[in-house]
Amino acid sequence: MVSSRGQMKIQQMIFMIVAVTLLFILVGVFFLSINLSSLKKSSVNLAEENSMILVSKLANSPEFSCGNAFGSSRTNCIDFDKVISLKDRAEYSDFWGVAKIEIRKIYPNEGDKLCTSKTYPDCGVLKILDKNVKILPYSSNFISLCRKETDGKIIYDKCELAMLLIASQDKTQ
Amino acid sequence: MIKKNNRLGQEEMVGFAVIAIIISIGILILISFMIRSPVKGDTENYQVDSFIGSALQYTSDCEGETEFLSLQKLVIACGNEEICIDGRNSCDALNLTMMKLIDNGWNVGENSSVKGYNLKVLIDGQEKLSLNKGNETINFKGGFQDFARSGRNYEVSLNVYN
Repeated sequence: MVSSRGQMKIQQMIFMIVAVTLLFILVGVFFLSINLSSLKKSSVNLAEENSMILVSKLANSPEFSCGNAFGSSRTNCIDFDKVISLKDRAEYSDFWGVAKIEIRKIYPNEGDKLCTSKTYPDCGVLKILDKNVKILPYSSNFISLCRKETDGKIIYDKCELAMLLIASQDKTQ
Repeated sequence: MIKKNNRLGQEEMVGFAVIAIIISIGILILISFMIRSPVKGDTENYQVDSFIGSALQYTSDCEGETEFLSLQKLVIACGNEEICIDGRNSCDALNLTMMKLIDNGWNVGENSSVKGYNLKVLIDGQEKLSLNKGNETINFKGGFQDFARSGRNYEVSLNVYN
């Protein structure tokens, strides 16, 4: 009688331990599946974040940034008068560490009209660097594209909304 | 016999308590892992923040006394109920310029990844301008920029729905 009661107790304990273990495994699998599903999203976010940082770094570099030319110091502000002179400069081709750098006006929308010394400033796309290599997808960020403008009477600061796009070389091959 | 039953009952209670404690510790550990997981959406918000920052620097066609007003100055002019040199209300100019900037910056549409937007301009906590387009969904990127001039607080916030 005592022996069968003891066996019963041991069985109860085993069942309980198995149940608790299963519960933990199920909960663990549940959270693991949630974490794994968000892992890909996290990696995409991380890549995007790195690109954003690179774009911002570029926009705020001395070669691009407005500095104090338009009053106080501004973030994500690119001096159009300055960057037009950087277009197709061979000595800068490896300086930025990227394959393509492009500025595209958002508003006012000037379409795909390329910026050259003749079309400047009424143009839509300024290609600062355009290496002929296989590239990764573009990273972009909004910037303020500023220049000095005149209406015949006064010289004033004219800032437009634009997007800075960069693409790195695809070295996977 | 009663003593033995009591002892067995105590053992059962202790066993139950031990299991309850183990499960509680497990749940606490899982909750701590969930809390420690990184906050998402920072990157997405970064682009909206950049948009607001760049848009506020945009030079509008509203001419003030000395210069063409940037959007940030236009927000301030709207708060002071000023008018442009050409006679337009600064709030109307702000509304129109902001709408053009957002429509060009974010391609809103059913077939686009951007389903809608909601922009608000608050002055001293009171809503001065609100622009909406498209549908509001549960997935959105949000950003805001605030600044203060002459003792007044201005806030521009934008939610872009995906």
